Order: sequence, then structure tokens, then C-alpha cells
Amino acid sequence: MKQLIQLTVNGELHEVRVEPWKTLLEVIRDDIGLTSPKEACSTGECSACTVLLNGKPVNSCLVLAVEAQSKDILTIEGLSQGSKLHPLQDAFIRHGAIQCGFCTPGMLLSAKALLDENPQPTEEEIREAISGNLCRCTGYNKIVEAILEVAQSQ
Amino acid sequence: MQQYSVVGKPIPRVDGSLKATGEAKFTVDIALPGMLYGKILRSPYPHAKILSIDTSKAEALPGVKAVITGKDTGEVRFSFIDTPRYPADQCPLAIDKVRFIGEEVAAVAAVSEDTAQEALGLIEVEYEELPAVFDPEEAMKDGAPRIHDKITPTTTTAWEDFGVTREARPYDAVNNISNQVLITVGDAEQGFKESDHIRQNRFVIPTTSHIALEPHGALASFDSAGKLNVWLSHMGYEHKRYWLAKTLGIPISKVRVNKTYVGGAFGGKISLFPYELLAAFLSKKTGRPVKIILSRSEVLSTCHTSRRFIVDVKTGVKRDGTIMAQHIKIIDDAGAYRSSSPTALYLAHVFRHAIYNIPNVRHEGVGVYTNKLFTGPKRGHSLQQISFAVESQLDMIAEELGIDPLELRLKNLRKKGDILPNGDRLDSYGLPECLRLAAESSGWKQKWGKQPNRGMGIGTGGMFSGGHNYPFGSAAFVKLNPDGRFTLFTGQTEFGGGVDTVMAQIAAEELGLTIDDIVVVSGDSELCPYDIGNWLSGGVYVSGQAVRRAAADAKQQLLAYATEALETKIDQLEINNGRIYVKANPDKAVSLSDMYKYGIQMRGGDPILGKGYTKAVQDVGFWGGSFKGTAALSQGRGRFTDAYGLAAAIAEVEVDKETGKVKVLHIVVADDCGTDINPLNVEGQLESQAAMAIGDVLFEEVVIEEGRVINPTLGDYKIPGALDIPKLTTISVQDYEPKGPFGAKEVGETARGAVIPAIANAICNAIGGRIYSLPMTPDKILKAMKDEKG
Ligand code: FES
Ligand code: FES
Repeated sequence: MKQLIQLTVNGELHEVRVEPWKTLLEVIRDDIGLTSPKEACSTGECSACTVLLNGKPVNSCLVLAVEAQSKDILTIEGLSQGSKLHPLQDAFIRHGAIQCGFCTPGMLLSAKALLDENPQPTEEEIREAISGNLCRCTGYNKIVEAILEVAQSQ
Repeated sequence: MQQYSVVGKPIPRVDGSLKATGEAKFTVDIALPGMLYGKILRSPYPHAKILSIDTSKAEALPGVKAVITGKDTGEVRFSFIDTPRYPADQCPLAIDKVRFIGEEVAAVAAVSEDTAQEALGLIEVEYEELPAVFDPEEAMKDGAPRIHDKITPTTTTAWEDFGVTREARPYDAVNNISNQVLITVGDAEQGFKESDHIRQNRFVIPTTSHIALEPHGALASFDSAGKLNVWLSHMGYEHKRYWLAKTLGIPISKVRVNKTYVGGAFGGKISLFPYELLAAFLSKKTGRPVKIILSRSEVLSTCHTSRRFIVDVKTGVKRDGTIMAQHIKIIDDAGAYRSSSPTALYLAHVFRHAIYNIPNVRHEGVGVYTNKLFTGPKRGHSLQQISFAVESQLDMIAEELGIDPLELRLKNLRKKGDILPNGDRLDSYGLPECLRLAAESSGWKQKWGKQPNRGMGIGTGGMFSGGHNYPFGSAAFVKLNPDGRFTLFTGQTEFGGGVDTVMAQIAAEELGLTIDDIVVVSGDSELCPYDIGNWLSGGVYVSGQAVRRAAADAKQQLLAYATEALETKIDQLEINNGRIYVKANPDKAVSLSDMYKYGIQMRGGDPILGKGYTKAVQDVGFWGGSFKGTAALSQGRGRFTDAYGLAAAIAEVEVDKETGKVKVLHIVVADDCGTDINPLNVEGQLESQAAMAIGDVLFEEVVIEEGRVINPTLGDYKIPGALDIPKLTTISVQDYEPKGPFGAKEVGETARGAVIPAIANAICNAIGGRIYSLPMTPDKILKAMKDEKG
């Protein structure tokens, strides 16, 4: 039984008809067509599917789409402004914090949520904040360096 | 060292912004109009006969468009290895019997994933369970359940299709033996006789999963003209399109592997997988695009994991530490299918023969079928297993002889210029420097053996820069555009390592341009020329050389035009910054854009197209019944590679002696990859491998009980997270490789094989006891400490 819901993603309002058991991840990817949140496990263990819900990072594979109504949803498609990248995006690229790029969207959003809440985190706090975001390619240290640089230049 | 303007610079990757904004499309992101979703029905038994399959109820479910079984896909077999001696042993869907839990039995295409899933539950399969065997040593005994009947090839083998005229023989896996290798150098028996000290140990290395973050998946679409388009998460399209064409019975030129970004691979996406074939079969049957994306638990329990080795090592040394002889016996617990076993067993010898000068070697290996998930390549493909065994034992020997483990290793290294037993030559060999710098940076001399609760360990690794097996070559094109910029066509696949960036740097350097002047087209089998893919770490060395030559070819053409346009001789000209000018009078110049127009106007319409090609080992070639340069994997004869990548690592750890918990404090990786084409990339590769090795040593293992993977989720199968990673120091020892493009060679795999033994040795050093298997869990550590105390 599908139901009509309204989702605000990256500041844009979308009306979609979804089954009540569909996850936010499925609806963002399949119905709204934004493919940056990735699915690498679907069980809440990799955070590749991270989106910000009212500014807080969530694993969108564990959130039902219907629960996200009337909340602000942010994906990395909404991070940059036109061709102007967000400082975190820019720092990730320059520091070599991106390899295959599959973890990158989730990683960037976890980093953004951290810096929004704690603009001057220590290295340890950064590691803690991204500890649920798995990356198999980079070994994490370049990611930590990129986030630290953005924090220090803010 | 020569000064370059683009090569050697830490240029951020060319796909960085696409990946940072979510624009980069991975296979999982691609959707086509009318697309169906495929799901696979898998065997619940480790070993069983299939008596019947009834698909009628599934077919009747609304929304189901096709159900296929082994009857539809047929008996064309495929495998990672398919030679006259070892013909392929796997079918797209099981025929008559299943050999491991998770084996593909039937597949469904439906309008939604939910419908496809529901349909799987409606397929009725009648099985007759057969006795299963899980332990490789049991499997080799007389009377053990037989997993494969005699395999009679139903087609020519891949080897023959690639030009070797050799008649394939049926393969009879007596005692479940899938394959064997025996390599001898010198006289091992004699070497042991001449040794003062001999040590023999057994090491066990479990299977681990690659955990590329993007799960395995495929989208296949047949059009009405008979063309198959596929989007795959993969590591090189030649192997994929060859097998797709062969199993589907269509011409290879009608298969197009399209460019996708690949969310990590690490050897885990190298072979052809049943799901890829099934997506194509289902698309053929339905006339609609079909997408199959595996769940994480399907990836973890049905896609090949790393090779499981039991390694017996016997080493003989002189009192001063000189290694006299080594005898290695490997049991490779292959699982239900052979996959890469013949290659892996030979690589286990040859990856390390460039490291130490061991005059007498006997290297034996046997691949054994068992009723378990089959295994395959993973980053380093057997280097890590054999390095763990050999380097662990070297530490024990060092202790017994009272020699510093660092000195023991330095003493036995090969030398630059050495010719290896098979004829490979070490034109570059930065390993001694790697060891020295790693020791210096880690504070080895000051700290080793001097810190309570802490330990330090060393490891070394070696790796090919592309190999002779498979038709290992690459070609590339460049085309000049009206604006004076070039488009580069390379068959390399960007799966995270940064090849798109590195190839652009190589072309730019050769043409005197910037990286922004090069547009890279890669990973598209229809647009790009032959390229085996970044296998055996041949990406930079082999494909990079092809790219350099393509650029050089275009450069020669440009200069030839310029001699006419500027009315001068070719040796008077210089090319740089998009201009060609007379050296003595730089104002006398033409732009590359001018030369594009010149070619069309004045050179009969030729707009400049450069072509380059090379192969991994020039001395080896197979044609017809004869070989150029002998090569026999199973005997380790013939040339293997033209350049060895080498690495040394030192790790420092702290062990909590109450809990057995390990904290890795510092890892130094010193790697000789020849010239760093891109230092940012090189650091990335080395840090990546160090991080992966932490997982290998501390916690990773795909645990299989009675044939069932019992930890198929990322919750139960832990990989390192940001909190597990210590300070990583990477050192690049750039011993110029004269045969590589701008002096470059391998970088992506060696270090893992060096860091694993380094961490393992550090733990054993800290606890004063020895652990003979991975992973080194707290339980094992506590037990080893107890054993040591007696
Ligand atoms: S896909 Fe949501 S946590 Fe892994
Ligand atoms: S960059 Fe590949 S998983 Fe992080």
C-alpha cells in the first residue's frame, strides 16, 4: 500500500508515493534519483548511506522514508554550490582522501555534521566522529588530515 | 634524477570532484528504462545432487519475467584459470550438483526486487544430500567424498583461444587434487646438509574478504540487434568480455563493457562471476535490461575470498645467518572450484624470490577441492600468506642464532643487477634502502627488544609489475583535438587506485602539456584498445608504458609537421606548453592547435593520432605450438616479470598482557616503486595497504563452519575503522626502473605482504611467544603467552 509523502532534500521539496516499509536510502536513490548515498551493507554497519537529517548524521538504510517527513535532508549533491565546492570537498580532493570514492559521500557528511557541532575538533574527536564510516581504500589518515585542515582554517 | 614537470607531482586525482559531489556513477547507480531486477537462488547444502527444479510457481507470479536454471545456461565452463592442463571447472548455474553453500542454482528477473525475492521462494528444488568434506587434508585421503567428476572441456580453453595450440585434456581430480606445483632451485637436500641450524614450522592463514565498499553487481542489456551492453564493478574488461561472449555464444565485438567507476576491488572483482553471466542471460531471455546487485552477505559468502593456505616451511641457515636452503609445502584449500589456485601456488614462490638470495629451494604446492566457498586473488595474491610464514620463521631463527632480525634480513638480500634463477633481472632493487630507511624511521636500533609490553617486527614483500601469464599487454591511443589538447584512450579501469590520473600525467609529461590538457577515456571496451587491466600490479608499468609510447608517437608526428610549418630540422625543435618552437629562437613557434589544422589542410587530412603498445614481459610469447621463451607456471620456469616492486615494513605495537588486546602504535612502510608518478597516489596506496594489513593480522577471517559462512555481515566481519589506524609513515625509495615509463613500476600490492609479517612479528616480540596463524586474536595471544610461560 503506497502512501504519498513529502521530503525536503537539499532544500527542494519532493512528493513521492512510497510503500511504508521503504527506507529513506531507497527512496532518495530510486525515487528521487540522487545516487550519492551508497548502500554497502543495508544493516547499519558501514555508514556509506549517511545523510544529514536536521543536521544530524543518520544511516539512511535504517530510517524509514515516512519517518523523514518534515525534516531537512542533506546529501552531498547539496553540499557544493554550483561548481564551487564546499571546503570539505575541496580538502578531501587535495589531501588524497578519496580513492574509489564509494565511502566519500557518507564520510563528507559525517565530517560536516562534526564541524557544524564542534568547529575545532581534536584529531581524536575526528576519528571518533567518522569511526562508523568504513573506508577500505584510504587507510583513513588522509581523511582525518583533510578534516583537520578545514577545522583549522575555519 | 631527471626533472619532470607533471610526473612526480602530487597532483590531485582527476576524478576527485566527481566523487566528492556524488556525480561519479558506479554500477549500483545506473538504471535503464524498463530495467528488471535479478535475484539468485543459492544452494543450502555444501554438497548435494540436484534431482529436480520446478520453476512453474515462480514463473506464474505476477511481475516475474524470467526464471532460468542450469538447463538454460548450459555447460560452458569458465574459470579464472582455463588452460589445456587445468580446464575451467565452473558453470554459470549448477548442473546436476552443488558443491558449496551459496552456489548458484537458479535466477529470476522481475519488475521489482521484492517480486524477484518472492519468486525465489517459489522455486522448488529437490536435492539429495551427499557427504561433504571441509578439511583439505581429509579431502586428499582415499575414500573422501569426490567433489568433481572428471572434467572434460566442452569448448576450447582460454589458453587456446589466446593463441596457444595445445589440446585440452580432461582433468581428473583424483583425491580432490585440483592442481599442483613444484619449483626447484639448486639442491635443497644438499643445502640442508650444509646448514648449521634448521627450523621447521607450520603456519595457517585463513581466508579473508576484500570488502570493497561497493558490493558486486552487474547491469546487462541486450538490444534487438544482438549487442550486449554491460556495466560491471570490475578490474579490467578483457577477461569479462571474453567470458561473457564465450558463455553466451556471441561474438566478442558485440559485447561492450561500459565505463563505470568501481567502488574498490583489491583482487575481489577480477574473475568473471556467475551473477554477471546471469544478468546477461536474463536480459537475453527477457529483452530488457537486468540488474543484479549482491547483498553484502552474498558478497561475503559467495564471491571468492582470499586463498587459504597451510604452509610448512623448513629453512636451513649457517651460524652467521646465511640462508642455505628452504623447503616450502603449501596446501591451498581451494574450496569448491579451482579459481586462481595454479597461479597462486606459483606466485607464492616467485613474488619472494627477488627478496632473499636462497641458493637451494624446493617449493611444492597442492590445490585441494573442498565443499566450501572457493577462494581467489586478493591484493598480493599469496604474497601475504607466504610472507607471514617465511618472515615469522626468520624472526624465530634470528632469536635462536642471537642475531638482530634486521641484520639477518640485510645479510640475505639480493643485489641490484642480480639475475634470478628464472632469468628475471633486478635492474631496479631498492629493498636494502627500504630496510635501512624503515629501521631508521622506526627507531629500530634504539627500541627493538628494549620496551616492556611493546614489540617491534619487520617484514618484506615483493611483487610483479605485470606478469607473463594471461596475454598480458596493453595498447593506448591519443588523439589531438582542435584546441591543441589530447584525448587519451586507455583500457585501464579506474577502481580507486588513480589510474585515470596517472595515465593523464604520463601522457601530459611526454607531450609537454599539463594534466588539464588530457581528457581520459578509460574502461570502455568499445572505445579503448587491448588492455588486460590492472592485474598483478601491471597498471603503471605496462599500461603506463603503452600510454607513454602513444604520446611519443603523436609527438613525433607533431614535430614532423612543425619541421614543414617552421621550415626547420626536427632536432632544432622543442615541444612544451602547447607550443612547438625553434630552440634558438623561441618566438618562431606554432601551437598544437595550429598543427591540428595543418594536418587536415596540408597533410592529406591527418589530424594526428598516436598509438602505443607494450607487453609485460617482452621475452615471452605463445604462438601455435611453440613458445618464445619457455614458461611453465607449475615448474616455475621461464621469465615471469620485467620489474619487481619491493617493500619493507616495520611495526611497533603494544600488547595488554591482561586482555591480550593489541594497539598498533606505528607502522613504517618503505616501498620501492621506481619513480613516483604521483606521490599523493603512492602514499595513498601504501597507507591503504598498511591499514588493510592491520585487519589481516588482528581480526579478519571469513569463518566457515560445516561449509557455512557464519560471519557474513560487516557487524560480524570487522574491518579496520578510523580508530584502529595508528601513525603511518610512508617512505618512497625510488630506485629508477629503466624499463618502466619514466622509471616507474608496481606500487599497489607489495606493501601489504610486508606489513602483515611486520605487525605479526611485533606482537610476538611483545609477548615473547609465537603465534602460527592469523588473525592474532586476544585469545590466541593470551594462549601463546601462557604456553611460553609453560
Ligand atoms: S548501507 Fe547503511 S550503514 Fe551500510
Ligand atoms: S575511498 Fe574507497 S572506500 Fe573509501
